[in-house]
Amino acid sequence: MKLLLYIWRNVTRNKLRSGLTIMSVGFSLALMTILYGYLAMQDVVGQEADKYDRVVVLNKLGFASPLPIAHVGRVRALDSVASAMPFAWFGGNYENKQAMFAQFAVDPEVAFDIYGELEIAADQLEAFQSNRQGAVCSRALADQMGWGLGDRIPLQGVIYPIDLDLKLVGVFDAPGNSGSIWFDWKYLDEESKKSPFAFDPGAGSIYVKCKDGDNVEAVCEEIDTMFGNSENSTRTRTEAAFARMFSEMLGDVQMYIRYISLAVVFSLALVAGTAMAMSMRERTTEVAVLKAIGFSKQRVLALVLGESTLIAMLGGLLGIAGGVGALALVASVPAAAMMFPVPVSGLVGAWMFGLVAVAAGIGFVSGLVPAVLASQLSVVDGLRRVV
Amino acid sequence: MTAPNHANGPVVLVQDVCKEYRRNDMVLTVLHHMNLELAAGDFMALMGPSGSGKSTLLNLIAGLDVPTSGHIQVCGEDLSTASQSTLARWRARHVGFIFQMYNLIPVLTAYENVELPLTLTPLNRRQRKAQVQTALDIVGLADRMDHFPRQLSGGQEQRVSIARAIATDPTLIVADEPTGDLDTASSTEILDLMKRLNEDFGKTIVMVTHDPRAAAYAKRTLHLEDGRLVGDTDVANAETIA
Repeated sequence: MKLLLYIWRNVTRNKLRSGLTIMSVGFSLALMTILYGYLAMQDVVGQEADKYDRVVVLNKLGFASPLPIAHVGRVRALDSVASAMPFAWFGGNYENKQAMFAQFAVDPEVAFDIYGELEIAADQLEAFQSNRQGAVCSRALADQMGWGLGDRIPLQGVIYPIDLDLKLVGVFDAPGNSGSIWFDWKYLDEESKKSPFAFDPGAGSIYVKCKDGDNVEAVCEEIDTMFGNSENSTRTRTEAAFARMFSEMLGDVQMYIRYISLAVVFSLALVAGTAMAMSMRERTTEVAVLKAIGFSKQRVLALVLGESTLIAMLGGLLGIAGGVGALALVASVPAAAMMFPVPVSGLVGAWMFGLVAVAAGIGFVSGLVPAVLASQLSVVDGLRRVV
Repeated sequence: MTAPNHANGPVVLVQDVCKEYRRNDMVLTVLHHMNLELAAGDFMALMGPSGSGKSTLLNLIAGLDVPTSGHIQVCGEDLSTASQSTLARWRARHVGFIFQMYNLIPVLTAYENVELPLTLTPLNRRQRKAQVQTALDIVGLADRMDHFPRQLSGGQEQRVSIARAIATDPTLIVADEPTGDLDTASSTEILDLMKRLNEDFGKTIVMVTHDPRAAAYAKRTLHLEDGRLVGDTDVANAETIA
């Protein structure tokens, strides 16, 4: 018989107590997994975005202020720029309900040059470029919504006071998790000008493909310098930095998340420690018997710590698995595809092992006091309780 | 199962042993200048009223506690000055324990309970299995090895406890009221078994008991009162030393 078997039998001895302890650790670790998973997602998105040599131009005033469309032509004219296009967030309703997918007005002529990693059939791309109301979407979104080529997709404006009547002419495959639909910016422009308000929709942001992948930082600087004295000065970032910006927007919240996580870990250790202390108190005589037959202090210490660590690890692993499952579930919703542009499987990293270590740490800390007390127990005193 | 060889001296030698417990400023003397010798293959019963010091003496002989003064030598080892870790190693090698309440580990089967002390030895899995089976054969419970303690009667639990005590083939077996929680039939079984261990396998046994019937199985009976030896009856030689 291995001592591990004995430890396992002790874990399953009081199933209710162990189960509740495992659940408390698991639930907290699941929440931590979701939080840290989201932060890891931002890192992965940043690393992924680095591959494509793209930069994103925003109005210096922020998202809410669209850039004028004239900026696109001036950016495109730069020697260091391969291509550029407007990228305007429409944010409309679909079938009079809040649309659970992202909608962008783009330039069909260059969109698939700038997003070279997306794959679309040549005839569908041609249809997108030649049909003003034409739209293309990711295969994941088409599958989710049950759309097929030729389907009409009416969008009711929320940000813009216009409605759009799109026709799906193409479906593209993306390497990551994409849940967006693209349509021609000129259609947005025409409908905006035809509306009673006759407004200029602007370019929104500008997506730029650089000629030289080693020179993207310089391109950012060049663009911002060019518009430095204009009415709409810009703030240009690499796409990786743009992705990171979302997590940076959390700013202090990230720090709070970490502090709150620490507090949760500490309180969990206390809860698990109480359960372990109760368990060991009930087994005082048993510990005394073990020591009587020759178990050393160290062995008793290892038995108790092994038990508490195993309970916490079980909770931790279940929690992490549950957290990853929750992330995958959220990522499968098209509306969340913007937040989870890479598959959850791509998030496996050191942070996950860190959480496993946190679970082990909870187990170790929670078992420390009961383990030391058990190892120091006088055999005579322990046996006297019953004998 | 082998008979121990202590031809050169007693298995247990207690010399001028005192045991005191201190509670705040109060000193309670439980054993007063105790002297005792126990030869290899002896079967000794310790009797006396509650508080007479018999369990304390048993604990000292078993290496569970150390005397306040005096010397105790058991199986050639001076226990008076040994550290706790040395005593733990020594107990694992030389002493088998039988408790009144059996004290089996409830989450382990009979086989696993008997194997428990063997996990402290360098024996491999196959050797441990042989030892466990031999011990369970001796106590007549080989067919119950997969049963958990809750699936056994009190008498059977105590027999498993005896199997655990002899699994490591110790020189000395200490028993604290081994029949105190059993009915008459089961008590007789247990006492017969202990007698067999003593006579057939040469085990030296020290047993604390309140029961004169149990004490009658021993070759020698020591009577304690107020921490002092007041009687030593050698049944084998029908001699009483007052």
